[in-house]
Amino acid sequence: MKKVMVGNHAVAWGARLARVEVISAYPITPQTQVVEKLSEMCADGTLAARFIKVESEHSAMAAVIGASATGVRAFTASSSHGLLYMHEMLHWAGGARLPVVLANINRAVGAPWNIWTDQNDSLAQRDTGWVQLYCEHNQEVVDTTIMAFKLAESLNVPVMLMLDGFYLSHTAEAVDVPDQEMVDRFLPKREAPYRLDVERPHAFGGLVKPDAYMEMRWMQQEAMREVPETLAAIETDWQRMFGRSYGAVESYRTEDAELVLVTSGTVTSTARAVVDQRRAAGERIGLLKVKMFRPFPSAQVREALTGVPCVAVLDRNVSPGHGGIFAEELRSALYDLPHAERPEVFGFVLGLGGRDITPAVIDDVIAQARAGKAPTREDIWVGVNP
Amino acid sequence: MPEHIPTTPGPHAVPEVAVSTTSTLATRTGSWKYQVPAYHDRVAPCNARCPVGIDIEGYMNLLREGRVDEARDLLLEENPLPAVTGRVCHHPCESACNRRVLDGAVAVHAVERMLGDLAHTRPAPVVKAPPRDERVAIVGSGPAGLACAYHLARMGYGVTIFEAAAEAGGMLRLGIPEFRLPRDVLDKDIARVSAHGVEITCGVQVGTDVPWSELTAGFDAVCISTGAHTSRALGVPGEDLPGVRPGLAFLRDVNAGKRPDLGRRVVVVGGGNTAMDCARSAMRLGATVTVAYRRTREQMPAIKEEIEDAMAEGAEFVFLAAPVEFTAKDGRVNAMVCERMALGEPDASGRRRPMPTGEMLTLEADTVLTAIGESSALRNFFPDVEGGDSGLRVDALGGTSRDLLFASGDVTDLDRTVADALGAGKRAAIGIDRHLRHHKGDTAELNALRFADGNLSAARWAGRDPVRRTAPANTVVTPEHVNLSQFRRVPRHGEPHLPSDRAVQGFDEVNAGLGTAEAMDEAQRCFNCGVCTECDVCLIYCPDAAISRAPGGAYVIAMDYCKGCGLCAAECPRGAITMSQDRP
Repeated sequence: MKKVMVGNHAVAWGARLARVEVISAYPITPQTQVVEKLSEMCADGTLAARFIKVESEHSAMAAVIGASATGVRAFTASSSHGLLYMHEMLHWAGGARLPVVLANINRAVGAPWNIWTDQNDSLAQRDTGWVQLYCEHNQEVVDTTIMAFKLAESLNVPVMLMLDGFYLSHTAEAVDVPDQEMVDRFLPKREAPYRLDVERPHAFGGLVKPDAYMEMRWMQQEAMREVPETLAAIETDWQRMFGRSYGAVESYRTEDAELVLVTSGTVTSTARAVVDQRRAAGERIGLLKVKMFRPFPSAQVREALTGVPCVAVLDRNVSPGHGGIFAEELRSALYDLPHAERPEVFGFVLGLGGRDITPAVIDDVIAQARAGKAPTREDIWVGVNP
Repeated sequence: MPEHIPTTPGPHAVPEVAVSTTSTLATRTGSWKYQVPAYHDRVAPCNARCPVGIDIEGYMNLLREGRVDEARDLLLEENPLPAVTGRVCHHPCESACNRRVLDGAVAVHAVERMLGDLAHTRPAPVVKAPPRDERVAIVGSGPAGLACAYHLARMGYGVTIFEAAAEAGGMLRLGIPEFRLPRDVLDKDIARVSAHGVEITCGVQVGTDVPWSELTAGFDAVCISTGAHTSRALGVPGEDLPGVRPGLAFLRDVNAGKRPDLGRRVVVVGGGNTAMDCARSAMRLGATVTVAYRRTREQMPAIKEEIEDAMAEGAEFVFLAAPVEFTAKDGRVNAMVCERMALGEPDASGRRRPMPTGEMLTLEADTVLTAIGESSALRNFFPDVEGGDSGLRVDALGGTSRDLLFASGDVTDLDRTVADALGAGKRAAIGIDRHLRHHKGDTAELNALRFADGNLSAARWAGRDPVRRTAPANTVVTPEHVNLSQFRRVPRHGEPHLPSDRAVQGFDEVNAGLGTAEAMDEAQRCFNCGVCTECDVCLIYCPDAAISRAPGGAYVIAMDYCKGCGLCAAECPRGAITMSQDRP
């Protein structure tokens, strides 16, 4: 069944098809439609979930943590300052190994106040023990929301999926809504290895001394290491049942490329169009979409970029005092390559606070990357009037 | 590791998550605390502010549980005349009620009235200590004398009341009109005092028919409760003119069944209950009434409901007007000249003092009733007893400066209300008992009889306070201690009144009171401030499940697990849990 829907409603449909059992969320622009849609679904009975109203995002996250600990499937959504307010609880969900799924609508962080998109809110959560997946379009949003639960519950790690604020959250697109029965087969009811159970009372999350804390962190890391392979297997199933898959990274027309653009989120669609134009003009330019940021898909990135002379990373985020965060992680992943096969990596910071990244902006990125013999600075700011 | 906890295979053999190997009891969160909760029943403001010293919260709690007879008995421990006070008390309990900040004070007076009326058809058993040899004479059968007699009788003393009037009741009968206090109601409440063995001798004026010396010689103790019956003079020219008369004398006539001719226009001077009773009685005799008061409505000492009823029945009010002269025509008053006042600085009573402005106003009148307060003429009989113009001076237990001579009620220099008189009579009874038994208690012992700084409890004095209280702390609960979010809004029950146009046609009771069912519902509105009602809120909210029901009621806190978070104290609807940094 095809439906036209905005990205926020695609999130809600994904959660509904995954048959989430508990939802707790607090509204914030531009995420509010997610919460509204889900509460409507709960109210009209099309989604049999308990919707817990709370007074803050911190409590929302705490509520889904508590729910998830009882063994049910729990979901929440937030954005920007709301996500930052959850920060402490995000660590808890990660450390307690609870397969919560969260949709974050990427929005810039104040000050100054800004409601438009960039990725600093979610990238600031990179060390909380959550898988991070950045979506490009609304079909990917529905599919990824459902797959996120499968991934989370397979490894007991929480999963966060990202949508660019307004560019995706409020853009309507045609979406092929997966069939419920097929989704039920793909994603059966959750079976939790540990759960709060009044019949067998245990204390969860108590004090763990130095003799065991590190082992638990080690197991968490091991689970993160398994994510790429598990996700690949899940996507294979999804491809078989629904005919679509996305990958942790996606190479687009990178064969024999002299220059590869690296993108995440909605910029990818714009970059695809630019690549198509340049290829039509005979230029050897390709694209690498990085969907998964945590765990960082180092092996896949190395495989995709080995031997490419020049890489231009488009970062809609910045780590003040350093540079674009995707570029940083990418350089780290490529460092071990032999020198002759290691690309020159140019990091571009652009599109902050919702500034539009048009084909002309990407043309500028390409021109600057080509002009530089080697990266002279770690971050090149595009379109800034200093 | 219990087998239902999966662990990762390999050398670690620890589970993926931090989970206790035994039950949650393994986590002794009690070691975290730096403060501890404790159940401390505190004092409800109604109890602290009741001049009679009634355990209002206690009987509300009994009513909540449907224990009506026990509620009645608890009320009668302190108050011999609840059907009277349920009608005429100025109910400071309601002014203090913490529920006022939510949706209006509990209508305590209406609940008391229901219990008082119920006690007429379903009388409480007479409670008396074993008889004692000593005999006590009480002069005056108003609320103070009746209360003193009632409590002494319950302590086992032989009591005789000497009453100058033909019937007992004092100001309740002489001063308060029937439309506020029907005579059968008064008679039934007084009958309760007689039923305790109190002998009431009416028509005997002590000092005239019986010399005072006979009383002091013939009884082991004497309590003077003669009241204050002399209307204060205005001290302005023309006050002696025919047609200008003391309001109290007028009320006494009306209450005795007389229907004096007042003419068409009546002016009442004053703002107290006597003034309101004069105004409302005069309207029932067909007069058009104007009340002149030298301050403003907010400062009137009369009960709020009486002012409202007087206004509803058609009385005109002229505020900030003080009489300066009465004028006459044909040898009878025809008008009162007033001076306009303005409010100045607060006086000794805390109210803003009326200041003359020089502007005059004339109110035409066929009759003027003065009601600016009463005084006692008793000083003449006891020149050696300390006191001033406002009455005899008494100590905390009603003792005068003369040994074995006690006093209570309006004859003393204390507050002059029915409730204050009942409370003073009780204090004098305790004082007499203490004296006759040569009991030398200290101040701390007396304070243990009080709700906070309120009146003494006769039940506690007799050692039969039926209300169990947990670790009582003698502090009053304020609205800040009450958790309003735990209470649903329920409007106060209003009492049906006779329509004003019908009310002024006669002397039928105006306020019909609440029916038993409505009064029981009203009692459910009580917060039970400061007193644990075993509502389970603490048990439900404790995040460590450290609170459990104790065998035989109330709760126990498992201190090994209580981490001192304070949620129980914060969520307790009625402020019955306090946190302290004491060691448990």
